[in-house]
Amino acid sequence: MNLRDVYVIGVGMTKLYRKAPVSIDELGRQAARDALKDAGIELKEIEEIAVGNMIGLSKTICLGQRIGITLGCQGIPIKNTEGACSSSAVAAHMAWERVATGLNDVTMAIGVECLSSYRAGGTAFSPDLNDPEAIHGMTMPGLYAMRAKRYMHDHGATKEDLAMIAVKNRKHATVNPYSDFRTPLTVEEVLNARVIADPFTLLMCCPNSDGGAAVIFATKEKAEKIGKKLVRLAASTITTGIFNNSFRDMTYMDITYRCAKKAYDMAGLGPEDVDMVECHDAFVVGELLYYESLGFCKHGESAEFLRRGDADYGGKVVFSPRGGLLSCGHPTGASGAAQIVEATWQIRGDAGERQVPDCKVALTHVTGGGVYGTENAICTIHILTS
Amino acid sequence: MEGQVIYHPDFLVIPEGGEKPYLVAYRCEKCGRLYFPKVNVCLNCLSEDLVKQPLGGKGKVYSYTIQYTPQPGLKAPLTVGYVDFPEDVRVLAQIMAEPEQMKIGMDVEVTVGEIRKDADGKSMISYKFKPVE
Repeated sequence: MNLRDVYVIGVGMTKLYRKAPVSIDELGRQAARDALKDAGIELKEIEEIAVGNMIGLSKTICLGQRIGITLGCQGIPIKNTEGACSSSAVAAHMAWERVATGLNDVTMAIGVECLSSYRAGGTAFSPDLNDPEAIHGMTMPGLYAMRAKRYMHDHGATKEDLAMIAVKNRKHATVNPYSDFRTPLTVEEVLNARVIADPFTLLMCCPNSDGGAAVIFATKEKAEKIGKKLVRLAASTITTGIFNNSFRDMTYMDITYRCAKKAYDMAGLGPEDVDMVECHDAFVVGELLYYESLGFCKHGESAEFLRRGDADYGGKVVFSPRGGLLSCGHPTGASGAAQIVEATWQIRGDAGERQVPDCKVALTHVTGGGVYGTENAICTIHILTS
Repeated sequence: MEGQVIYHPDFLVIPEGGEKPYLVAYRCEKCGRLYFPKVNVCLNCLSEDLVKQPLGGKGKVYSYTIQYTPQPGLKAPLTVGYVDFPEDVRVLAQIMAEPEQMKIGMDVEVTVGEIRKDADGKSMISYKFKPVE
């Protein structure tokens, strides 16, 4: 079928807190309120809302409905969705789909998480304990650490390269008022932090954080009527992991390669057109692997790509201009929407000191992990253009 | 074996006579794909005709990590790794070795031991790996 063009007409985000001063539903409500204010529209113009949250962690029931009701919604459909770290990117996809297919003209996606209220600090996040690898003690830092070890073995990346990613993303976050992690870091500090899962130290892993983010999508007609700088959602794609428990190269992120191809095809663009990326840098090696699987360099060449400065301001593409998950923290269920909020600000030219010069195309990418036999359970990519 | 649960008799055999423990994979009779642990349907061709195939006791470490912050309730440091069997099956398990012994590509063999306590506090016994002596 022919899909309609979809535009982002409003975005809102709370600060991403180490520990939020308010409850999870209030984080969602504040983000939604700010998105409405940004769009300059009335709540009653929103026809449907999709809410992403890691329900398995938050143990909430009807969270989206709670947010919608306290926001003042008068009975519109509200849908809750979960996809681990990509929960609210899935919500964005659902909200996009309603407008793209013509079922609605204006929809909202909200992502929200309040990890400090339900996850003990100092613990490693692990997949569902029904998973045969989780039963044996696999954690998410452990899984990515194994990727890092094998990547270093096969392609000559070093611990210093891994540390450089944490340093780069922190440098970006120092000028991001939404981040609670803004003290600059050095390579030595990153390398000397305590080891979580060899070769990762604490500072090579994203911190927990709390926050809410909201995005309002609409038709071109509606977007033009609002009169703000147009931001088009040129691609919204989801892929699922394919089972393979025989030999596989765990540094080749097949699910992201597939999702990126779909997204570039949908947008009619390629990696050479992209000005900035917010990717799933939950652990430093993620960013290295995504330089490759998002098409910016060949498999095995990402350490060189990083060392040349190609992933930073002044290089080929700016990775993690807001600081990424590594330096904004990772409010898991909120991160997918938070990335889209950042991409929108960057394309509008509203990103302040962290503005990517002349940003015309922004890509956001977040996966969700934790099903054995796959590199990731789910992958989501959004491409926004001016 | 009171107070213990075996993970899982369908795919781990611990012989009574003291012989070495071994893993049991499942081969799809239709397309030949091999699975470990057990699946109920071939994820390649969707056939439900799967037959047991014992694996040889040895494999090579594809990658590993030493976790100093393991899951809550597990003891650090905890080494886990992916082990590739010559039958072309990859298995994740805990590896019983000193950190300095660990190397990508090292040969390991199947052993058994406690991997965690289950929800009722019972000792959960499962496959692990140790360096080939």
